[in-house]
Amino acid sequence: MGDSVASVDSPGRTTDVDFALVGHQESWRAAADVLGVLRGPERTPLPDDEIRDILPWIPPRAVCHVDVGSIAGAKARGLYIDSFISPDRLEADYIRENIARVRAAAACAIRAGAKIVSLGGFSSILIEGNFDQLPERHETVFTTGNTLTVGFIVQGIEKMCALEGRDLRRSTLLIVGATGDVGSGCARCLAPLVRRVLLSARNVDRLRRLAAELEADGVEVEVATPLQQFSAQADIVICAASLASPSLLLGRIAPDAIVCDAGYPKNLSPNAEIPGARVFFGGLGQITGGLRFTPDFHGVLNRHPFPDVVQGCLLEGMALALERRFEPFSQGRGFITQERVDEIEAIAARHGIRLAPLYNADGPLWPAQATIGSALGSRESASISSTDFTG
Amino acid sequence: MELAVDLKRSLSNECTSLSLSALVWQDVLAQAMTGELVAAMNFTALSEICDHPAEVADALEHAQNEKGHAAAFAAEGRKIGVEVPSNVEAKHWKRIREAFQRRITERDFIGCLIVQEIMLESFAVASYARVGKVAAGSLGKTFASIAAEEEEHIGHAMAILRAERALDAQRFDDKLYRLHLEVMTILAEMLARDCSRGHCEVCHDSCVKPSLSEICLTTAELRGASLQQYLKTLDMLGLPGEVTLVWVTQLPV
Ligand SMILES: NC(=O)c1ccc[n+]([C@@H]2O[C@H](COP(=O)([O-])OP(=O)(O)OC[C@H]3O[C@@H](n4cnc5c(N)ncnc54)[C@H](OP(=O)(O)O)[C@@H]3O)[C@@H](O)[C@H]2O)c1
Ligand SMILES: [Fe+2]
Repeated sequence: MGDSVASVDSPGRTTDVDFALVGHQESWRAAADVLGVLRGPERTPLPDDEIRDILPWIPPRAVCHVDVGSIAGAKARGLYIDSFISPDRLEADYIRENIARVRAAAACAIRAGAKIVSLGGFSSILIEGNFDQLPERHETVFTTGNTLTVGFIVQGIEKMCALEGRDLRRSTLLIVGATGDVGSGCARCLAPLVRRVLLSARNVDRLRRLAAELEADGVEVEVATPLQQFSAQADIVICAASLASPSLLLGRIAPDAIVCDAGYPKNLSPNAEIPGARVFFGGLGQITGGLRFTPDFHGVLNRHPFPDVVQGCLLEGMALALERRFEPFSQGRGFITQERVDEIEAIAARHGIRLAPLYNADGPLWPAQATIGSALGSRESASISSTDFTG
Repeated sequence: MELAVDLKRSLSNECTSLSLSALVWQDVLAQAMTGELVAAMNFTALSEICDHPAEVADALEHAQNEKGHAAAFAAEGRKIGVEVPSNVEAKHWKRIREAFQRRITERDFIGCLIVQEIMLESFAVASYARVGKVAAGSLGKTFASIAAEEEEHIGHAMAILRAERALDAQRFDDKLYRLHLEVMTILAEMLARDCSRGHCEVCHDSCVKPSLSEICLTTAELRGASLQQYLKTLDMLGLPGEVTLVWVTQLPV
């Protein structure tokens, strides 16, 4: 009967919850794998159509316990809470339902007594401005986690440039979704380091306001809504738009451009014709002090080619929990600065949370990184597993 | 049953959507009515193991209410020209009654409440509410109002069960899990896409499940809504959500 999983003797009874992570499954395959673990290997797997029938009815709830370790010796206990937003319901049509789901997931975290809640990217966009109607929060604080996300995106760009022998100071940087929390944070951190900045999103007024802020610091900035207008001029591109599906075509870009896709769901369409571009998935960090799930989701939640890789936004809550700094580090939108990024990066680094090896849809960008990754993985016990929470 | 078959034959000539759906409604009402009669029997049995006169009166009142619900469903059937049969001996319902009866034999008052008020009522409240949304006129109103009534009277049982859980959560949850395996497995089989154990012995002909689309319902929706209601009820009792999620994902499909 798989009692070790099903019975209430499971370690689901901890009273101490340092952190909670709120996310959802981004594909039906991922959702099927999660339900498959919960159902247990001894039962016939749920048919795909059954999963599509049932998933939308599951109320948001904790799925597993998460233990994270620090290289400095600290430990933190947490919960992964899934909002069970269906992979085919990310569009605006479902916004009310999805807000209700994220709110209910947040309420689960509060009821569990989590001291800090890290919201996945998609979840934080939904709940922003919708913090009302949550149960009384007592000690629970929320962070969007976007500051550490920005930190890892910027680190990724710097690493790519170093490895590709590019001079960041001579580069033209294009940010798609530039006025968002993540996009504007990247703009503030990278603008002083590049030659020219191109900002793109749909709303021109917001673009102009951001441009004015950056220009005040002496940066050369241009804004445009249609991407085609200047995508060909960019040699570094950050995609941080909140899209319901990977639909960004990007237009013509420089043949050897560096492209960071930081979106969840991914921004870049599989049909984007960007031959020669060096694409990587940005905003990801890696835990080197140990990560364990109960029940064991090893290889199931982990859809990265490296062990213990997690989105920056979720890592922010884990890093703050290890630091015992239970505060809403990233809140609201448009407040991410270089100073705050430095601060959270220092906290993360202290606990061994660092930039993840770079990869894209085709796998690791440099085979050498894969070796580093697996060496790290084997250092941990077999029960230490990896994750890919989708926000 | 005889009548239903005849009715089907005569209506098939007209072949209007209304006449076709009357037969679907007949089966839906038959399942609901059988569920109500089973609930009435359960509450009557419960009254026999209650210690306090107030509890006895309460259980008998519930039994009476459930009989009233059954009568209301029968009356709705007549309004659309069908006789609503019931069969408390039908295979799934019989197994459910037997599971309840075992708790009676053990004089397990809390076990009885868990089976009737948490499991069977989750199923009734959620599915009646869905049916209430698609059924027109007084048929829809009856389903919706009975769903609301059932939900309301769960409140009293919830208070008793919460107090019981507060005494020893581990023991309570273990008991609930055992009952889940026994009873929710049967309910899951009833609501499964396919009838793996043959005819349900309530539907008048072949199983109504594939025909539910004629009245804008699906089995998946009834199953999903029932399991959601069940999970939410367990949440309200304070059981850990990650544990009850495992229970539900392990049910037969
Ligand atoms: N890698 C990670 O760890 C991580 C962490 C957090 C967030 N994220 C992801 O990063 C993305 C942005 O998050 P956020 O919190 O910054 O979101 P946000 O504050 O809502 O900003 C979204 C940005 O995208 C723009 N945008 C929306 N739709 C667009 C479209 N169709 N075309 C072009 N621009 C569009 C918005 O501006 P307009 O409305 O004016 O177009 C805005 O600039 C999301 O995909 C999120 O999931 C990733
Ligand atoms: Fe009833």
